Amino acid sequence: MSARPRPLSPHLTIYRFTITMTMSIIHRITGGALYVGTLFLVIWLAAAAWSQQALDVVNLVYGSWLGALVLFGYTWALFHHLMGGLRHFVWDLGYGFEPGQREALAWAGLVVSIVLTLLVWTIFVWM
Amino acid sequence: MRETVITKGVISDPKSKYGNAKRSTRDFLLQRLSGASNILFTIFLVFIVVRLAGADRAEVVALLGNPLVGIPFAVLFAIVCFHMRIGMGDGIIEDYIHDQRTHRLTLSLNTFFVLAIGIVGVASILKIVFWG
Repeated sequence: MSARPRPLSPHLTIYRFTITMTMSIIHRITGGALYVGTLFLVIWLAAAAWSQQALDVVNLVYGSWLGALVLFGYTWALFHHLMGGLRHFVWDLGYGFEPGQREALAWAGLVVSIVLTLLVWTIFVWM
Repeated sequence: MRETVITKGVISDPKSKYGNAKRSTRDFLLQRLSGASNILFTIFLVFIVVRLAGADRAEVVALLGNPLVGIPFAVLFAIVCFHMRIGMGDGIIEDYIHDQRTHRLTLSLNTFFVLAIGIVGVASILKIVFWG
């Protein structure tokens, strides 16, 4: 008998969206965004290590409205990914799997990430 | 790069073990340990960026050049790089990039990107700590 691939399970497109599934997808997306965003952190650090002129250029770009927008998005991605990580620690320890608990954890992560983002920006930028 | 690419041949062979079991366990653990360390990194990062956003070199050197701030930040940042490599490799590339050549290429690019980021980042912080 010739070998053939095992059947694959159906993918995302056929499922109804649930909050845990959505948060899982966003966890991956924010992880990818933070991965790319680290480049901007390193550019800033390298410019600061290099010279005042280089740092001036970086500060000008990062201080623009587009830079601020990216930084705001980065702040939320950071907090969302952090909350996702904490949720996974809870699950890795074997807690929070009951119906209702899973959803509560996912919603809590989303709410806390938004609150923390607004808190940091309100206190340190807007005030 | 020693990651084995999972082809249809590998999947259809009942004797195959889907890649490196030891590496998978190591990456699983490392991802969680580095994740825990990243909680601390996030606090450092927010503190540093909030204090130094738009600051000039003298201000950056005054805060980040303090070894009690710069050294832990450099170490935590290096750990972030391990987390980034596993996350991008296990979480994204291995799940979504199926073409063998692109798969291998993107895994190599992942390692290259993370190495470059890690070296430049740590070197910049240490330069500020030791030489201002």
